[in-house]
Amino acid sequence: MMRARPMFAIVFARLRAERRAIGYTIATAVIAGFVAPHGIEARTDPHYASVAIRSIWLAGPMLFCSALGMISALLQVAGRDPDLDLCELGAPIFGRELARARALTPCIIASLATFSYWGAQWARGFAAPPSYFILAWVTVLAATLVTLSATVRSGPSRWLYVGIAASITSLCYGLAVYANALAFGMLIALVAGFIALRQYGETLARFDPL
Amino acid sequence: MIAIRMRDARFTDGAHAEIGPLTLDVPLGASVVRPCASSHEAAIVARMAAGLVKARSGSVSIGDYDPTVQPVHCKRLAAFVGHDPAHLEERDFARYIGYRAALCDIDPVAALADAEELMERLAGVHPAFAFPIVGALIASPIVVVMDRPAIAFASHILAAVGPRALFSTHVDRAAAAAFCTDGRILHSA
Repeated sequence: MMRARPMFAIVFARLRAERRAIGYTIATAVIAGFVAPHGIEARTDPHYASVAIRSIWLAGPMLFCSALGMISALLQVAGRDPDLDLCELGAPIFGRELARARALTPCIIASLATFSYWGAQWARGFAAPPSYFILAWVTVLAATLVTLSATVRSGPSRWLYVGIAASITSLCYGLAVYANALAFGMLIALVAGFIALRQYGETLARFDPL
Repeated sequence: MIAIRMRDARFTDGAHAEIGPLTLDVPLGASVVRPCASSHEAAIVARMAAGLVKARSGSVSIGDYDPTVQPVHCKRLAAFVGHDPAHLEERDFARYIGYRAALCDIDPVAALADAEELMERLAGVHPAFAFPIVGALIASPIVVVMDRPAIAFASHILAAVGPRALFSTHVDRAAAAAFCTDGRILHSA
């Protein structure tokens, strides 16, 4: 069980260090949510949603916000904030605890971006219904968590993890839009996110801060 | 009791020349220095001694613990201070000490009181150098490991470390001599 104090200390310190990035991310999401092309009838009933409507609902929150989440995860790369890296790695915390605390930061940034995007869509009347939005949010978190493993690797393996994150997002988008399989898409995203977090913890426990 | 024990410890990352084999003991209360051939070697040796970097072969123990098996126990016993100054200013003191206290899960009020006392011993040292030292000491480690500490602050650092063991790496012999209070300079292999 993760102790709360070290976890909150790490999360708040990381969020404070990334406050500019958080501001840019939210602003980008809000602007994109407002200016994204819609071309569908506002407040459509989910039961009568066609492929085109589902794609309008999900393309922005899932694809664009996943990209923002992946970027916020890549910002956690070792060496970007060496003071925090050194304090965290020198602290008496297990690798899995550190992984959970570190993973919370980009997940919070990605969540803020997704909610901001959805809020902007809602203001224009083209927001996805809650079930679609929750799928988009879970997919964004899964992509963010998978990308985190890229931050403790270099070379081709780093890009492999970025590719896996993009593939998971595309798969969940395809399932939700073309097969209308929201529950299956959500299951895939949850499993991928859970495995990614475990993998990140294992890697951090073996990580040499050089 | 030995605070840090290294036996034929080697490290290689593929990109640089192999470091080691290193064999050394840091007894409790002693100040032990290790001159190194390069900054990279000094950084690696200090991190290996603090349990932050794992030796590829040989053994390292901190107190009675092995950093590869019990890293959390090792980090409670050994505190590490890096070479580079932290991006900290005077106004960051309370926030930084609170952060370090939370990481070690120690009482923040007691940590702040300890930190203020330690800052008196480090009077005149720039916050960018002083705060990481204070942050490392508030958790009451038995040994402090420093990567190339600044020679200009040698007397302040030794005063702050007090009766704890100190292990430092250096690339400069004059700096090594400044930190060596009992003549225990370990010559590089």
